[in-house]
Amino acid sequence: MTQYKKPNVKVLKAKKMASSFISTILKLGVCIMFAFPFFWMISTSFKTYAESLQFPPTLWPEDFTLQAYITVFEKLELGSYLMNSIILVVANTALMVVIMVPAAYVFAKYEFKGKDFMFSILMVAFMVPTCLTFISIFRMFAHANMLNSLWPQILPCICNAYGIFLLRQNFMQIPEELIESARLDEANEWQIITKIMLPMAKSTMATIIFLSVTGTWNSYFWPLVMTISDEYRPLTIAIEKLKGLESGLVWPNVMAGNLVLLLPVIVVFLFASKKIIASMAYRGVK
Amino acid sequence: MGEIVFKNICKSFGDTKVIENLDLTIKDGEFTVLVGASGCGKTTLLRMIAGIGPATSGELYIDGEEVTDIPPGKRGIAMVFQNYAIYPTMTVRGNIEFGLKNKKIPKSERDRLIADAAEVVGLTPYLNRMPSQLSGGQRQRVALARAMVKTPSVFLLDEPLSNLDAKLRVAMRTELIELHHRLKTTFVYVTHDQTEAMSMADTIILMDGGKIQQMAAPEVIYNDPNNIFTAQFIGTPPMNVHKMRDDVNYIGYRPEKIQIFRDKPTDCTYVRKVKVITREMLGSETLYKLQILSDAENEKEPIMSKSLDMSFAVDEEVYIGVPKEDLYYFDANKMRIRETDMLERLYCTTEGDK
Repeated sequence: MTQYKKPNVKVLKAKKMASSFISTILKLGVCIMFAFPFFWMISTSFKTYAESLQFPPTLWPEDFTLQAYITVFEKLELGSYLMNSIILVVANTALMVVIMVPAAYVFAKYEFKGKDFMFSILMVAFMVPTCLTFISIFRMFAHANMLNSLWPQILPCICNAYGIFLLRQNFMQIPEELIESARLDEANEWQIITKIMLPMAKSTMATIIFLSVTGTWNSYFWPLVMTISDEYRPLTIAIEKLKGLESGLVWPNVMAGNLVLLLPVIVVFLFASKKIIASMAYRGVK
Repeated sequence: MGEIVFKNICKSFGDTKVIENLDLTIKDGEFTVLVGASGCGKTTLLRMIAGIGPATSGELYIDGEEVTDIPPGKRGIAMVFQNYAIYPTMTVRGNIEFGLKNKKIPKSERDRLIADAAEVVGLTPYLNRMPSQLSGGQRQRVALARAMVKTPSVFLLDEPLSNLDAKLRVAMRTELIELHHRLKTTFVYVTHDQTEAMSMADTIILMDGGKIQQMAAPEVIYNDPNNIFTAQFIGTPPMNVHKMRDDVNYIGYRPEKIQIFRDKPTDCTYVRKVKVITREMLGSETLYKLQILSDAENEKEPIMSKSLDMSFAVDEEVYIGVPKEDLYYFDANKMRIRETDMLERLYCTTEGDK
């Protein structure tokens, strides 16, 4: 038997303190790395043009002004872009849910001929990157005479293969007996989905919807390719135009525009993260 | 009212035939227990009645009505699942109410029914709790209340007690029997536990390999088994069965019918000298494992005996005797032989012990 060696308490304490100190420094570093650009954006958007070019730069505006925001809203006519963005987000997310939920339910809980084949096609769609398919989709909409409208920005986006996959995995974990029990309770398929399955898949749904909303809101490439006139373009493209709004690159304007673009995403994230935490907590109890 | 009739029912999963040409009538108002080992087809039958696992072929009648094309919710049945299948995102009230809402029963009526059902199973204080805040026994009660509230003509229960601890299981058993007396509807109960079957059933249907081995009242199944399978499935420890010396037929006797003597008995038909191998105290009774002291191949297997006398010691050599009326005979196909006069004369009395 080896002798049990009494540990030196002082050394242990010192070690513990050192490691917690290092970990705090590292965490702080990472936080600053991520947060600083945001801070810089906010701060710059409230500066005057002159101050934004000043060197060395000021961390917080000495001359606090809302001029950049006024310029952005007045000169850019953000209204119609904003409307397009909202329409796209609402339409894409709503239609995606309408297609995704029954598809995931069927793939998870039904047996039918060709199910595996269909699901593998879906998975292929999920794996092929958009940059490979956009030309053919573009041509498709060109043939259908639907380019330069909101349609090519909605229709290709409503079948969310990734979402169907995630939700299907979630649905598959729900025991068969619950569905059978609901059938014995005279629930129809629609009620089974809305009353039994979806409440149990809350966190997955919140995640998918959050990804879809931010994805649509932030999309830049797709609307740029599919539209020509500003009438059908979303906010992202308008922000791009900020660079040429006044002579030269006016940083406060660009930053104010970016902030306007970002604000809804931040709000949605705060809302969704609460939901996600809530549904996770519900799971934890189980 | 809820008589269930199976006519020529077959069921296969892929290429595996689980049930073949089964005919069965489950009587109205009775507590019928389907019992058998795992995979014997008992749950399959239950799911057929519920309509959630339809038969491959054949006809099924509930209350004289062919139900093959009737969806599960419209059959007038309620089912309690082994894992309870309680909706985890609904409160206890929500769980009980769900079926009623779907039936479009008005709110005031629903509230009355829920209050009644909760009262019966003792859930009244828990109506607004979530299932995750309930114990196993309480969840079981939610499942029962949810079934009861629909006032079904047939109650289906799929091993509802198997997830409870031993003590609660015995308590719930009594409650289920009382519930059946109160509701007076048809209960079809699936279990693999013969004790549960014996204690609760009006009629036991013992199944093996998709076939009904015997269907009778518990006392008949225990006292008058049709075959070796039934004889050995019901009763703990199972009936001692070994081949007779003709090497064709079988003889059997229940452990609790064996009498143990220090001196050779004279009034028993079946007498053997044995050695005590192990002794297990059960409290009121003692379980002995005994080895027959014989060179015959057919009597090499140890036998079990349940006795009120706890005085016999391990390694002691004693005599066992079984009275004539407690001996069972089975033929080469393991089916019961009820005409026993000749067998008794030939293989028992004449031989005695060694």
